Amino acid sequence: MGKINKESVKRFFSKPSTVIWIIVIIVALIAVESNFYSVDETEQAVITRFGKYNTTVGPGLHLKLPFGIDKNYNIPVKVVQTEQFGFSTVKEGRNNEYRNNIVDESTMLTGDLNIINVEWIIQYRIVDPKAWLFNVQERTQTIRDISRSVINTLVGDRAILDVMGQERSNIEVQSQEMMNQNFKQLGLGINIIAVKLQNIVPPQGVQDAFEDVNKATQDMNRFINEGKEAYNSEIPKAQGEADQQIQIAQGYAAERVNEAKGDVARFNAVYDEYRRAPKVTRERIYLETMDDLFSSDTKPTLIDGKLGNILPVKSLTGGSSVSPSSSSSKGAAQ
Amino acid sequence: MSKSVKKFYISLIVIALLVIFFFASGPLYIVKEGYQAVITRFGSISGTHTVAGLYFKVPFIDQVTTYPKLILSTDGDLQRIPTKENQFIVVDTTSRWRITDPVQFYKSFKTLDSAYNRLSDIIDSSTRTVITANRLSEIVRSSNIINERTTGAAEAEDDETKEIESLVNVNNVNESVTRGRGELCREMTEDANKLVPEYGIEVIDIVPRQIKYSDELTQSVYNRMIKERNQVAQAYRSLGEGKKAEWMGKLENEKRTISSGAYKKSEELKGAADAQAARIYADAYNKDPEFYTFWKSMESYKSTLKNYDATYSTNMDYFKYLYSADGKR
Repeated sequence: MGKINKESVKRFFSKPSTVIWIIVIIVALIAVESNFYSVDETEQAVITRFGKYNTTVGPGLHLKLPFGIDKNYNIPVKVVQTEQFGFSTVKEGRNNEYRNNIVDESTMLTGDLNIINVEWIIQYRIVDPKAWLFNVQERTQTIRDISRSVINTLVGDRAILDVMGQERSNIEVQSQEMMNQNFKQLGLGINIIAVKLQNIVPPQGVQDAFEDVNKATQDMNRFINEGKEAYNSEIPKAQGEADQQIQIAQGYAAERVNEAKGDVARFNAVYDEYRRAPKVTRERIYLETMDDLFSSDTKPTLIDGKLGNILPVKSLTGGSSVSPSSSSSKGAAQ
Repeated sequence: MSKSVKKFYISLIVIALLVIFFFASGPLYIVKEGYQAVITRFGSISGTHTVAGLYFKVPFIDQVTTYPKLILSTDGDLQRIPTKENQFIVVDTTSRWRITDPVQFYKSFKTLDSAYNRLSDIIDSSTRTVITANRLSEIVRSSNIINERTTGAAEAEDDETKEIESLVNVNNVNESVTRGRGELCREMTEDANKLVPEYGIEVIDIVPRQIKYSDELTQSVYNRMIKERNQVAQAYRSLGEGKKAEWMGKLENEKRTISSGAYKKSEELKGAADAQAARIYADAYNKDPEFYTFWKSMESYKSTLKNYDATYSTNMDYFKYLYSADGKR
C-alpha cells in the first residue's frame, strides 16, 4: 500500500466506481450480518415481517430478510418455568435459600372465615409462542394475578382444617384445571403443568393455639392409655387372685369330702367288726384307748377312789395347777 | 478533478440526503403484531389500522398513535370495603381489559396512562358497589361444598372420631351462599362494562387477587380462631380424661365383681362340700348312733387327753379290776 497523501486521496475519489463498490459492500455486509439467526434446541422462533406475524420456526440456523424487515422472537417452549407465591428463592444452588412469609401474597381467607397462609408454586410451559407474544401484554403479572385469584377462590371455598389437611391435593388438581381454563380464555398460550402447595400454616399469632390442639390429642391419648394401664395393671391380677380363691375353695371342698369319706370308711370298717362281736369289741376299744392314754408322755396322776378325806397333793412344778376340788369332781365324773 | 466527477458526487450526496430525509419524515411505518394505530391529520382522525403490517402516511401531516391490541391488566387499589354485615375487609382486585375501539379510545384518553388511571377508578367503584351489597361469605366462597364436606366427615369414621367431631363441631354450620365469588366477579365486570364502552374499552374480568380482614379486624379474628382451637383442645383433653375415668370405673367395677364373684363361688363350693360331708357322716353314723358316740369319744380321748397333765381317779371303770379279780368293788 502506497503512502497516503493528498495526491492519492484525490486519485481515489476521482474514480466514482470504486466509491460505489465500497458502499455496496458495506450494505451487503450489514445485510448478511442481519440475515441469519439461530434458534436453540429448547426454543421456537416467531417471525414477523414488517411487524406482522409471518411464521413460527423450530430449532436450527435460519435465514431472514435483513434491515429489520423480518424480526425473530425466540421463545423457550421446552423450558419449564416456575412462579413462586408467598415465598421466593433468594439463592439457588445445592442448598437453596428461601425468603418465606411474604404474607402479602400468602394470607387469605378460608370458607369458614378464618385466616390462613398458603405458599405455592406453579410450573408452566409456553405451548403457543404466537399466542404468548401477541395476545397479552403483561404476561408474568397476568399469570401471577390469575394464579393468586384461583388459589384464593379455592381456599375460600373450604374449611381451614380441610385446607391444611385432606383437601390439599384436591386444591392442587382443581387449581391447575381452573388456571388452565383461565389462561386459555385469555389466549396466553401457556399450559400449567403443575400447581404445588407448599407450606399451609395458620397465621403467626394463632399457631400456638393450633399446636396446642395437636398436644391436646396427644394428651387425650395419654389419658386413655393411663386408664388402660391402670386397668391392665389390676384386672388380670384380680382375675388371678379370684382364681386362686376359687381353687383354694375347691381344694377345701375336696379335702372335706375326702376326709368325710375316709372317716366314714374307717367307721364302717370298725362298725362291721363291732357288729360281729359287739361286747368284746367295745371293751377292746375302751381298754385300748385307756392304755394309750395312760402310756402317754404327760404321765397322768392317779388317785385311789377308795381313800376318803385325803387331800391329793400334786406337784406344782408341772406348770399347770389343778385344784383338788375340780380334780376330784373330774375324777368323780368319769 | 474533472467536472463530470464533481457532478457525480453532488448527485450522490443529494440522493443520500433525499433518502435520509424520506425515511426520517416517515411515510412508511410499521404496525406491529398485537398493536393498532390511529392516524390523525391536523388533529382529526383520518383512519385506523388494526391489522399488523407496513403502512404509508403523508409525512409531517399524518400523525400515528399506536395502542396495544393485547390484553392489558390493571391493578385496582387496595381498598377497605365494608361488607353487608359491616365487616371491613381489604380487597385487592386485578382486572384484564383491552382496547376494542381505538378511535373512541383516542378521543377519550389519548395516552394509555390516563386510561389506566380512569379504569382503576371504575374498577374500584364496581368492586365497592358489589362487595358492599353482599355478605362476606358470598365474596369468600364460591359454593356450598364446605357444608357437604363437614357432614360427610361425621358419617365416615369410627365411633371415637364421631364423638370428637360432635364435640368439636358444635354450631359449626357455615351459612350457605347463594351466588358466590364467581358470580360476584361477573357482576363487577358487568357493572364496569356499563361505563367503559364509551371509552372504546372492554373489561374482560375483574377478580380479587386477595381478600383479607382489615388490620383492626384481624386481631379479633385471631382471637376467635385461638378460642376456637382452645375449645377443640379442651374437648380432646376432657374426652381423654373422661375415657380415663371410664377405664378407672371399669377397673373398680370389674375388680369388685371379680373378687366378690370369687368369694361367692368359693363359699358355695365350701358349703356344698360341708353339706356333702355332713350327709356322708350322717348316712354312715345313723346305722348305730350309740356306737358312733362311743367310738368317736374314744378317738377323741386318744387325741386330746394325752396333751393334758391330768389326774384320774381309780373310780374309773378301767380300774375296776384293780380292787378285785372279778371286777367287783
